[in-house]
Amino acid sequence: MAVDLARKNLLHDKLRFFITVMGVAFAVTLVFVQVGLFLGLLRNATTVIEHMSADLWVTSKNTPNVDFAHTFPESYVQRVKSVPGVEKAENLILTFAQISLPTGAQESVQIYCMKNFTDWNLPWNYEGNIEDLRRGPYFMLDSSAVKRFGTFQVGDYREIIDNRMQIIGRTKEAVSFTTTPLAFLDYDRMQALSPALLRNRTSYIVVKVAPGADIETVRREIRSRMPYNDVWTKQEWADRSRSYWVVNTGLGLNMVLTVFLGVLVGVVVVAQTLYTSTMEHLKEFGTVKAIGGSNGDIYKILGEQAVISALAGFAVGTAMAFGMRPLMAKADLHLIIPQQFLAIVLIGTVVMCLAASMLSFKKIAGIDPALVFRA
Amino acid sequence: MSVLEARDITKTFREGAETVPVLNGVSLELHPGEVVALEGPSGSGKTTLLSIVGCILTPTNGSLTVNGNHVDPKRPERLPEVRKKSIGFVFQQFNLFPALTAAENVEYALNVKGIRGREAQKEADRVLDAVGLGDRKNFLPRDMSGGQKQRVAVARALAGRPPILLADEPTANLDSHVGMQVLEMFKDLAKKEDRALLIVTHDPKVRTISDRVLKIEDGRLV
Repeated sequence: MAVDLARKNLLHDKLRFFITVMGVAFAVTLVFVQVGLFLGLLRNATTVIEHMSADLWVTSKNTPNVDFAHTFPESYVQRVKSVPGVEKAENLILTFAQISLPTGAQESVQIYCMKNFTDWNLPWNYEGNIEDLRRGPYFMLDSSAVKRFGTFQVGDYREIIDNRMQIIGRTKEAVSFTTTPLAFLDYDRMQALSPALLRNRTSYIVVKVAPGADIETVRREIRSRMPYNDVWTKQEWADRSRSYWVVNTGLGLNMVLTVFLGVLVGVVVVAQTLYTSTMEHLKEFGTVKAIGGSNGDIYKILGEQAVISALAGFAVGTAMAFGMRPLMAKADLHLIIPQQFLAIVLIGTVVMCLAASMLSFKKIAGIDPALVFRA
Repeated sequence: MSVLEARDITKTFREGAETVPVLNGVSLELHPGEVVALEGPSGSGKTTLLSIVGCILTPTNGSLTVNGNHVDPKRPERLPEVRKKSIGFVFQQFNLFPALTAAENVEYALNVKGIRGREAQKEADRVLDAVGLGDRKNFLPRDMSGGQKQRVAVARALAGRPPILLADEPTANLDSHVGMQVLEMFKDLAKKEDRALLIVTHDPKVRTISDRVLKIEDGRLV
């Protein structure tokens, strides 16, 4: 074992070490929170796609994401059903409608409409009997609607497009990127509520491919029979929906800028503290050179200090980010931190701190070991 | 047979457009077990000479042989290796690492020389016992007196058994009594271990422990 001058020097001045670690930690927390919240929002953008059991989605041409649906003739579903390898296919309407609240206010609600919800695992988490939707003027509403629509109970009535309807169930986790609350309603009833827009029309056709059938082959065949529609696999449709929000709205650029600023803060803090520390230890580094040490030996010291600061800062920053998760969840903000992202931030933090320490390298290279003879 | 031989060393520094001579043809030899004092007024070139024989600076002209190896002034990148193998330094300001204990200060110097682990610990124990600090090994410099710090510095210089010991004003920051104790101990250890010891000093007490006294004035030995 060798004497670890880097670690001992770093920990010798505890206040400086604390400041360095907190600088890195805040940068790490900032990155985790910004990216985590963004990933949480993006998950909302595709949560319905990912929970539904559809393998393929038939959409009108150039639909940019799942929330912005355009309608097309519902009879196309027959063409899809006739394609070999299709186990089942069904129309799905997704539409925005006005809901009147007890306060007299009106809000928008995003409504998913099918004939056989249970066949498609939609919704996936709910209280009540989804089959009852087809038996009358009923709908289910997601719990997250409380924030926008106020509290509600199963059995309450609300007006949707001026039609009095009863809430017969409460869903959970059914959310959208737009934050508009989600509701579930029978397909035929929705067409009746909005005949001008929806009579004989659908927003999507969802497709389940038969066991053993090749999804790509089935998709190709549907495309050939429906040249004026798009056909996406589940993964493609989710990616396209996410990509719309990231690329087309500037949210992605916003996130990149925030991450950049977080990294910049970290680099500046670490560079400043390491450089100040180097200046204060200049005579010690001169001594290292005088007793035979090379610039490389001193670079190793600075490098190790940077890595220690990075690891400590990462640990504290990660703990802070994870500590904020339950608080954010209370505000319905989901912080998603995947393991790969943890690894990326860890590597990024180490690289950031090493880069910051290089500011001191130039100073070290110029140290005259003869300074050890100066009083 | 000398362990250090400097011949006709000159050193000039540039100050703007001017070239300032600091050493003018200095020659000296150090032999194993010999204690030599180098005296001179401020600005006479003592520290520059110490830096050159200590392989910290290269001479402008002249030749230098350290422990039988010619030191090429055109290859300054090789100087750290010579310092590592052949020279132990003691500084006026002690220059201990404040974050390291006495033992660690010595061990770190040994680590730089390539000696690690148990071997470094044993050597550190040996030299710290030799300077009378066996019971202060785990003390940080801030918890030691000036004399104790300089003893640690002496132990660090002795560690790894370099044949040449160079000391720059080792008593300047010590009171007279402690300074004398440190000098006596340093001389005894150098002689016992057959090291050549060159002490740059203003302190007349150093004469009393020296085998030879060199005087330098205006960059020349007189």
